[in-house]
Amino acid sequence: MVTLLATVLIHIARAALLVFGVTVLVFILVRAIPGDAVDVLAIEGGLTESQAEAMRAGLGLTASWLDQFTAWCLGALRGELGESLRFHVPVADLLLQAIPVTLALGAASLATGFVLAVAVALIATLRPRSMVASLVDILNIWSIAIPTFCAGLVAILVFSLWLGWLPVLGNFLVPVIILGLDAAGQIVKPLHEEMKELGTAVYIRTARAKGLHPLKIVVGHILPAAAPVLLAMTGLVAASFIGGALTMEVLFGLPGVGSLAFNAVNGRDYPLIQAVVLFLAVAVILINALTDLAQRLVDPRPEG
Amino acid sequence: MAALLDVRDLGIAFPAPNGMVKVVDRVSWRLDAGQTLGIVGESGSGKSLTGLALLRLLPATARLDPASRIRYRDSDLLDLSEADMRSRRGSGLAMIFQEPMASLHPLLTVGRQVVESIRRHTDCSNGEARLKAAALFDEAGLPDPGRIGRRYPHELSGGQQQRVMIAMALAGSPDILVADEPTTALDTTVQAQILDLLRSLQAMRGLAMVFISHDLAVVTSMAHKIMVLRSGQVVESGSTGAVLSAPESAYTQGLVAARRRLGVRTQATVPSRVMEPECALELRDLCVDYPGRGPFAQPVRAVERASLTLSAGRALGLVGESGSGKSTIGKAIVGLARPTSGELTLFGRPLADDGWRLSRSMRRRCQIVLQNPYGALNPRLTIEQALIEPFVTLGLNPPNGRRSRIVAGLEEVGLDAGFLDRFPHQLSGGQRQRVCIARALMSEPGLLICDEIVSALDASIQFQVLDLLNRMRAARGLALLFIGHDLEVIRYIADDIAVMHRGTIVERACADDVLDAPQHPHSRALIAAMPRLDDAAPSEPDDGWRAQHRSA
Repeated sequence: MVTLLATVLIHIARAALLVFGVTVLVFILVRAIPGDAVDVLAIEGGLTESQAEAMRAGLGLTASWLDQFTAWCLGALRGELGESLRFHVPVADLLLQAIPVTLALGAASLATGFVLAVAVALIATLRPRSMVASLVDILNIWSIAIPTFCAGLVAILVFSLWLGWLPVLGNFLVPVIILGLDAAGQIVKPLHEEMKELGTAVYIRTARAKGLHPLKIVVGHILPAAAPVLLAMTGLVAASFIGGALTMEVLFGLPGVGSLAFNAVNGRDYPLIQAVVLFLAVAVILINALTDLAQRLVDPRPEG
Repeated sequence: MAALLDVRDLGIAFPAPNGMVKVVDRVSWRLDAGQTLGIVGESGSGKSLTGLALLRLLPATARLDPASRIRYRDSDLLDLSEADMRSRRGSGLAMIFQEPMASLHPLLTVGRQVVESIRRHTDCSNGEARLKAAALFDEAGLPDPGRIGRRYPHELSGGQQQRVMIAMALAGSPDILVADEPTTALDTTVQAQILDLLRSLQAMRGLAMVFISHDLAVVTSMAHKIMVLRSGQVVESGSTGAVLSAPESAYTQGLVAARRRLGVRTQATVPSRVMEPECALELRDLCVDYPGRGPFAQPVRAVERASLTLSAGRALGLVGESGSGKSTIGKAIVGLARPTSGELTLFGRPLADDGWRLSRSMRRRCQIVLQNPYGALNPRLTIEQALIEPFVTLGLNPPNGRRSRIVAGLEEVGLDAGFLDRFPHQLSGGQRQRVCIARALMSEPGLLICDEIVSALDASIQFQVLDLLNRMRAARGLALLFIGHDLEVIRYIADDIAVMHRGTIVERACADDVLDAPQHPHSRALIAAMPRLDDAAPSEPDDGWRAQHRSA
């Protein structure tokens, strides 16, 4: 077995390789989409052919892909992500404005889903034949069957247009509830299955033999034992929210990373797309690393 | 005087496709304060369920016979509400289980688990409970009782884990301790220490105990009274001395005889047709390292300069505590562990020449049977499919066809062709182990490594397996490397014994010499810890003793 230091180095090297791979792939893919930023501007602003060509040269889009990529990589390594082709401001500024919105939306939704999933799984384990126990499957099927944007559209229709309770744009509460339900549905099923399984473990029988109350057994013994599964599922959902909240942000007009990505792709704003993707890749890798670390903290046993 | 615990007509059944199956049938017994009742039986006799029923911890699918009565002090436990029963678990009756590792919560410190138990049954602060836990750890004989509570179960040895379980069971100052096979998973020397601890705790605290085990020798060393269970029914009960000296039922006579027979060694007839038997196995200064854990860890030496020889038709017993490296030697021989240095020669071929890997022809000649027959058979393969595998992987085609060879092989181990279509879960543990042995013998190996192959089996089945191996030895000149910790079993089968301690072979001689006149202090400790039927059963506590403890 390799030492801890080597393990950490291998992990970092692997992460760097992954980020590089994603960057290359996105670099090629965005340029494979027909039309570039100047085409979009030309349609919008009525540029002539020669004006457009001059603009392309000015933005550096006439250079070969390899040269463009090398230039971008060298910049990124220095911390310079370039300037937006459309907004003419550094993409880093745009990104820094958008990240807090996405983080707030993701954190609030994740917290809602986490609390809901844990509460439902706890009650369902304690009272397997109760109404709450059937919520496990209802939430799970909800999250699988109903895409968040569908629920979002219906919510806008009902609460904003028909009932007039909430504004259509800039609303934070409805997307948090919709994403929270989605997260709860994904987390609650595996968590409950694990807790049911653990209920038959020999050490849970020991806890019963001590004379502990069932609530204390479920909260103090079964839930800690299920923590690795809970953390793994929460990590997966968190990673999906970093980019996956895109439709919610666009639908409810929240100026987060998702909206930024949407606008960047529509405008063929290559530097902005690349910066957003770089952020997403690093964020997902960080979340996975944090999940691993948290799992190691709750389970003191050595691996293997 | 009314008994402390009075069990009447206890009946337990499980639902099955065609009606209920009775697993415990009208079992009755009494237990007085300070006494120990031993419940003996083979697997499936219902002894563990009887113990679990006392704390009402039976599996959810189990059904109690409505006529069952469990009277403890002033109440019938079966009439209590769940909340009232809870208050008696841990304080009236406490329980310790067979597998200490599995019985402790793996993610909580042992201190926390004991503190929780103390605070459940006594009104005290967390700090006071910690002090009490340390006192209990001390009473249970754990080292460094003030700080061991911060450890997690996996950081403790099996014996220490069981001591933690005992401390936890004592946390509520129970009257009755139900011990379900508390030492079965432990080494013989550790078993002796735990049994001593239980005896002294019982004397100090005046505990009544229900001691459940499959091992007659262990039970007789602990119990005042014995109850023998078979298929859920009491076949015999009485004082330990009476049951041992004059067993009434044929079943108990068989159990006693089986245990006594283990003490006698059979001289297997070594084939004399070969004057100079072939050397099947030779180890010279063999070392095996395992990689260490954690950052900057050094490799751990599992086997240190081990030297052995084993000729065709001979049986060598390799004994030692768990962690002594005996299983590692077995693994190294069949190529499952890579030696660091030294020589390992199989049938004259040095294994190092092949990069420590066994060639196909060598795998045909060296086979291994492992301890756990439950894990060694693929649950989705029928017995026939499992037995065909050696022919497929080794590319063998026996002269009369594979199927007839399989049937013959099954018959050799005392099973018939009716087993071919069954799946492993439809077989008992003993039958499964015999299938594993049949599978290992399919390729007609010259060397068979048996790694604790009978420790999971009941005494009567142990014999069938051991006798089978002895027959193979005589008939085919099979060489046996028999790894185990049960010296009675080793005495029964082995010509020579090698004793291992912390990776080194500390003593090696013919079996009788090692067992009757052990030279190395560690061998002496191993042999002294062996439970024997002749151990004096504990005498009935007299009334003076009891009165003294009641007033204390």
